[in-house]
Amino acid sequence: MIERQAMLQHVLIAWAATLLFLPGPADAEWNMPDAIESRLGDLPGEQQAFVSSGAIIRLIPATQLEHEFATRDDDDLRALIGDLMTVSVELQYDPQRDMGAAPLNLSSERFNVEARLTPEALRDLEREPGPFSVHRYLYPQSGVPTFGGAKVAVWPEDLVAGNVDVAIVGVPSNMSSGRRDAGSGPDQMRALNTIATPDVQSLIKPLDVLAVVDYGNFAINWLSTGLTSDHVTKMVAETAATGAVPMLVGGDTSMLYPGVAGVARHHGNASFGLLHFTAHSDADRDSDHLLTDRQAVFRLLDDGVVDGADTVQVGLRGPSVDIETLQWLRDQDVRYHTMAELERRGADNVFRRIRREVNRGPDTFFVSVDVSVLAAADMAAAGRLTSGGMQIDDVVNLIRHVCAAKDIVGFEITDLAPMMDTSLVSVLNSNAILNACLVGMAVRKAGLTPDYVHPLALDHGQR
Amino acid sequence: MTNYESNLRALAGLALVVCLAATSAAETPDTPEHVVGDNPYPFDTADPRVEKGEAIELPDEVADKLSLLTPEQVEFLQSGDARPFTGPLKDTLEALDKRTPEEVRAWVAAMQEVHSLSRYDESRDARNIPFNTASQTFNAWRTLRPRSMDPPREDGPVALGRYDGYGGPPTFGSLPLALTKADLVAGEVDVAIIGAPLNMGSGWRDSGERATTDLRVYGWSIGSNDQYVQVNAGEVLNIVDYGDVAVDNFSTERSMQHVREVVREIAETGAVPMIVGGDHSLEYPNVAALADVYGKENVSVIHFDSHYDAWWGGVHLIGHGYPVYRLLNEGHVRPQDYIQVGLRSSGPDKAAFEWMREQGMRYHTMAEIEQRGWPAVLDRIVAEASEEGRKLHISFDIDVLDPAFTVATGTPVPGGLTMRESVAVIRRLCSEANVVGFDLVELHPGLDKTYTTTLNSAHIIKACLTGIAMNREGKTAPHYLSPVASEHAIDDYYGDQQQYLDATQAEKDAEEAKKEAAQEADAETAVEAENEAAAGEPDGE
Repeated sequence: MIERQAMLQHVLIAWAATLLFLPGPADAEWNMPDAIESRLGDLPGEQQAFVSSGAIIRLIPATQLEHEFATRDDDDLRALIGDLMTVSVELQYDPQRDMGAAPLNLSSERFNVEARLTPEALRDLEREPGPFSVHRYLYPQSGVPTFGGAKVAVWPEDLVAGNVDVAIVGVPSNMSSGRRDAGSGPDQMRALNTIATPDVQSLIKPLDVLAVVDYGNFAINWLSTGLTSDHVTKMVAETAATGAVPMLVGGDTSMLYPGVAGVARHHGNASFGLLHFTAHSDADRDSDHLLTDRQAVFRLLDDGVVDGADTVQVGLRGPSVDIETLQWLRDQDVRYHTMAELERRGADNVFRRIRREVNRGPDTFFVSVDVSVLAAADMAAAGRLTSGGMQIDDVVNLIRHVCAAKDIVGFEITDLAPMMDTSLVSVLNSNAILNACLVGMAVRKAGLTPDYVHPLALDHGQR
Repeated sequence: MTNYESNLRALAGLALVVCLAATSAAETPDTPEHVVGDNPYPFDTADPRVEKGEAIELPDEVADKLSLLTPEQVEFLQSGDARPFTGPLKDTLEALDKRTPEEVRAWVAAMQEVHSLSRYDESRDARNIPFNTASQTFNAWRTLRPRSMDPPREDGPVALGRYDGYGGPPTFGSLPLALTKADLVAGEVDVAIIGAPLNMGSGWRDSGERATTDLRVYGWSIGSNDQYVQVNAGEVLNIVDYGDVAVDNFSTERSMQHVREVVREIAETGAVPMIVGGDHSLEYPNVAALADVYGKENVSVIHFDSHYDAWWGGVHLIGHGYPVYRLLNEGHVRPQDYIQVGLRSSGPDKAAFEWMREQGMRYHTMAEIEQRGWPAVLDRIVAEASEEGRKLHISFDIDVLDPAFTVATGTPVPGGLTMRESVAVIRRLCSEANVVGFDLVELHPGLDKTYTTTLNSAHIIKACLTGIAMNREGKTAPHYLSPVASEHAIDDYYGDQQQYLDATQAEKDAEEAKKEAAQEADAETAVEAENEAAAGEPDGE
């Protein structure tokens, strides 16, 4: 009886494995080496189908498979292929065996993040709406750290009353798939008070031109990107609805999704372009989770929040950038620019191309920067640190240009993990990136051309 | 995807279901409780410690103020649910006094809104965090590599280096590697050290693979000679590096089941699982696994920590602040079998302490240590943990140590134990009590640019290995220290010179006797083998 059951099970696993792993586009490119093809006949039928479908090379490197075919006797070879077929089935979800959803504590009296927002009628202090200073002095040197030393706003009505242009807000999520300390990003960027420094090209002081506030942090759920994402999406949409541009300071890159989705909830899906600086494509198409940093871009495109043709990715390299992913991005019409392109075509040429793509794109843009885009020399504290990468000046110049050339509907910087850099360089450069967009927006508001250079800054003018 | 393909895939799905049904029918249903599919958590979740607010009765004088409220709203305002917002009767009356009826209406509506949002509402809220079950690689994170992919080898621990086992990639204490239960059995393994890189702590997060890797790279002391007691755990015990257990660093809940399975797998062989983390959520699967093997309510736990980790009532059912509560809630451990040492964080509060006392949990706070002195508390702790019949799991959160010794931990609290105190208590527990499991958690090497925290963590692990080795050697006398290592005995400075000289000689004699006995036993075995060989020989041709 048991034997019959085992046999039935064996046949069914073989059947399921064969069918589940039909050749996809990538598998089709696998040309079975002769050494394998010549021995296929030694295998039972279902094993032959499993091997020739190409599905098997997702489970074992092709070179090793070839070696096994060349060196194993029939029994050992069948055992190996049989084991791999079993694995291919075990990879799938089984509702009798696997947890399909993490249960929550339904008795909790702190169930929803939203409950932590204090409704107006329950606020203790009565004050007129509007941004306010946290300083006692007119020219403060120190005190409570805020982004760029800006005034503080707490509620949407503060943004409206202050006619605020830009609300800088922390989203301290801490779920990077790399090293984790992004939760410290917002406070470290506040503490190193270098945002809002004057721009040496335009000689503009961004806070003189723009009404900028520190909008505090949005609450996160420390164990779930999904629960965090729901709340952040809602808060970003609420912020955008006041007319202020949300500038989000992450947090790990999973927050790219609610950042962009929140803006889209107000402005409309596919109504703006996305310029994404990053080493990582974040286009994982088969994750066992519904939202992680590795799939933020996939989700945005798949859910139609942004259009592939309006999406530009810059700086790609590293572990997630493989043939299948680039092909998928190309199929989505995404304009991607890898470090290979930068190296072969020259940075200036690529930047010109990017500017053209952005300029020909939608009128409005969301700019997102995963700090991993920078070379490690400029950014040791990237959560998903990757060798190679862009220089800080190039990134800053490109961002300043785009934020000056386009109407910006949102900005985000993600995955700064300050703990990994005992120097201040990583935080300094993160602030410079955020400031670059502020300067660009100020340049635009001041009515200057995107690449305006003040003559005093360009030349001392002495004979 | 073409229709043809999608049909075939649907067919494959069907095959999968049939196949899995056949699989589950073939196996005995011996799976311990864990949530499968999208089922809810099967245990009660209400926290008995939550105090309901007191209802109040509003006097008729405030009827005007309440005139715009619905009857439900008036009821809500008087109920206990409103107390967190309005305080007791006196404060409520003051608050009413300064509000117009319109303002009162907005005020109560706001309370009701927050009250409602704070609680799960079936029609509004998701009751779980769904995973992407359609993923083709749903279980990739914990899928085992088939043995047939590597060249065949005998079962048993594998030394990775070519120089008497040394010189290979780093393992805990340069110990041999085991990857399967069969390896543990074949190697008659006494202790299996396993990494659990769970990186979901609430403080600084970097306790994942960096911790387990650093302990391999810098943990040279693990399993070496202990000068204090002159026992070399590496020689007395078969200790292995059991690799890392797979975790899902996007979901603590999902990681729990697999950690429990692997820890159980170790304990089933009779080996002591030593889990190196990773955040303190791990205490839950570690102890649950031991309860799976030794029986529910048969395992005691001593929890070293600056935090009591029995918080509850958040939206999640596991996190590094709740493992103790969850273990008690599921009945794996009886409250009276819990001992806590080193508590000093802002919680537990008075109500939680009272709850622990009522439950029969034993706690030894830093306040007790301040009042009674460490030697007295040490003896008390060891006595409690060594009570007859206890099978003990030690859960050691390195934040029980003072941050001077462990800078690199996620939620440090000043004012903790010293290394000298900690090594002594762990060595004593592992030698004098019946230790069946051990974990060391919350190491975050990224926070320490020196390697001090990793060094200290390794020495805590070593202290327990030494203790287990002492236990096997019969050195279980209270607070045993080697007489030759603890006193030069060249003069009679303390007045007990002769005692130390005698004790040293006695140990030497005992060792000699043991050696002789072993030689005799060897000789007997040799003779027996010879006889057997002679008996088995063919008669000759």
